[in-house]
Amino acid sequence: MTEQHHTLTERMRILAQGTKYDSCNQSAVCHAFGPDGRCIQLYKTLLTNSCAGECAYCPNRNKRDTVRASLTPEEIVKITWSFYRKNAIEGLFLSSGIIGDAENTAEKQLEVAKLLRSQGFTGYIHTRMMPGTPKYLLEEIAEHSNKFGVNAETTSSVNYSEICPNFDYNNDILTRLKWTRDLIKKQRRKVGYGGRIVGANDTQFVVGAVNEPDREIISTVHKFMDRYALRRPYFMSFDPVPDTPLQNGIASPKWRENRLYQASFLMKDYGIKASDFDVIFNDDGFLADADPKMRLAYAHPDYFPMDINKAARDELLMVPGIGPISANRIIQARPITSEQELARMGVVISRARPFIEINGSKQTNLHSFMGVGS
Amino acid sequence: MIIAFKTDVDGVLLACSALKEHPDAELVFAKDRRELERKLTFSGTEDEVVRLGFTPIAGTKNLIREVLGKCPAKMSRTDTSPVQYIDLVLRHSKANPAELIHLIVSCNGSAEHLYTGKSKLARRYYNYMRDVTRAWQRMCMFARPDFVNGIQTVDIDSPHDVADIFCRWLAKKNPDVPVAVIFGNAAWVGNGELVGLDHFTKTAAAFVKSLRTSLSSKNKEADEVEGLWDVFYNSQMIESRRNRRLASKMQPKSSAGMSKMAKADRYKVERGISNCTLEMFVGDAREVSV
Ligand code: SF4
Repeated sequence: MTEQHHTLTERMRILAQGTKYDSCNQSAVCHAFGPDGRCIQLYKTLLTNSCAGECAYCPNRNKRDTVRASLTPEEIVKITWSFYRKNAIEGLFLSSGIIGDAENTAEKQLEVAKLLRSQGFTGYIHTRMMPGTPKYLLEEIAEHSNKFGVNAETTSSVNYSEICPNFDYNNDILTRLKWTRDLIKKQRRKVGYGGRIVGANDTQFVVGAVNEPDREIISTVHKFMDRYALRRPYFMSFDPVPDTPLQNGIASPKWRENRLYQASFLMKDYGIKASDFDVIFNDDGFLADADPKMRLAYAHPDYFPMDINKAARDELLMVPGIGPISANRIIQARPITSEQELARMGVVISRARPFIEINGSKQTNLHSFMGVGS
Repeated sequence: MIIAFKTDVDGVLLACSALKEHPDAELVFAKDRRELERKLTFSGTEDEVVRLGFTPIAGTKNLIREVLGKCPAKMSRTDTSPVQYIDLVLRHSKANPAELIHLIVSCNGSAEHLYTGKSKLARRYYNYMRDVTRAWQRMCMFARPDFVNGIQTVDIDSPHDVADIFCRWLAKKNPDVPVAVIFGNAAWVGNGELVGLDHFTKTAAAFVKSLRTSLSSKNKEADEVEGLWDVFYNSQMIESRRNRRLASKMQPKSSAGMSKMAKADRYKVERGISNCTLEMFVGDAREVSV
């Protein structure tokens, strides 16, 4: 697993590619969009793709025959600064393979963050921590990073031991999620509003590496939101990688990841609970490839059509095509007299029309619209 | 009676308040006293003229409450307050400050009317506010300054008057260096104390240009960063998720005119990224993620 010589550009490419599935923070300015439409906001890189871990799905797992590369903290700092001064990024996202152990890796990550801050860097730093990172290092990372978290990857210790045999779910993941939650709370109190941005707790799931159904993932996300103040989870679809124990696994369809994101947004912004999704899972606990909000609406025909001028905010939020902002606008601008007015408030009329009533007028009876009883 | 007001937030609010008292008054506006006197002399008016906003006032907060009532609750993180609304609208190339005053007065003390678009005029001005917001936000996204000789400079172009807000944004993002935003013959300088100027000041573009280093060294440094950026940008593409429609919407055509780097990114959004490059022969081209 020794590294061959590569130029800075080659190493940068290899290690940036290693983070391409990691979604970046959505609250700051995007500076570019890739041909896949995803925002590029941070310089995302691994410190190294050499790793002591043996996660069953991972192309960087120990002893796998692949090109290995590293960047030094100074090199990462230099690239971050040059992109930052060019206004091409808002900051840095730093992850890594495990360099010996979690402690050593976290020290190296901390070195990068400290170096940047010591040079006056006020941009965003998002550090993806390793499972098992010691508390004292998390505390230091919290002082220098805007966001930090550890990946849960899956929903239970049984599943976790199947795919990540070197770590312990309860200790290396859940305990760390609890620590990061408390550190974030502490940092927020310390810097207050108007100070440095302190991002919410953050974690990622590999979707489809083990056979956990969507029901299990959604209920874990809900539990994490509750227990660890997780704001939004990230999902990464499993893709079998040659020369790994899961090389013969089946790739998880990309739409599954999208539907899970939609479900997580419904929990985060719409007040929907994990158990509310029960009516739209199939018998095996999986979501269909359809918008979960639309499916939830169809599952509750008795709620509709909803009177746009009378419904409470949480009722409006159940209407497809109405989001939290447009719901606020509707309430403020009542009485609403036309669809055009709604459209100006950001309501997607084509989605909302079958579910709403404006001053007594509605598209059609929802039951007949859905073909119920025919 | 003529209400003559300065085209800034205070001037507009004072004029609204005066127009409520004297609904038949004529409105005249100017960006400074000199322009106002020129306008008045040119019109040859002998009516009484009340000049508003040309001397600094305190208490915009009270004034906004008097004219537009209680601020409506923010509906989203990106919503603007009424003061920001007025400031942004005044920057629009097509905005007519007198028309804006009539709109505000027609709200009858309810600021919500500025946002809900119930009349044609309110809709037009709401869209002006959105246009200006979009214009400077796009600058924040796609402008790519040069960082040479310890000073960050960028040339911009916009139909709207947004150079100063963009400069403030850039200066806040880079508090340790002087930044300069050049727009035509003028330049806004932020963190100016680092080069012996005021913290935030307007100066001649020629002065800022003289601070820049020679063009050849600028190009070399810029080319290096641009080359690295290309490598990074390409590395982030997930081919199986290419979504040209969404990407074109997010990285719009207009972004291409803002910088060379944004132009190259826009090109790739349109054409995709060639997956046969020299790099494929030196490394493992497989997509990996941790
Ligand atoms: S620890 Fe991370 S990099 Fe290492 S094998 Fe596991 S997932 Fe891959």
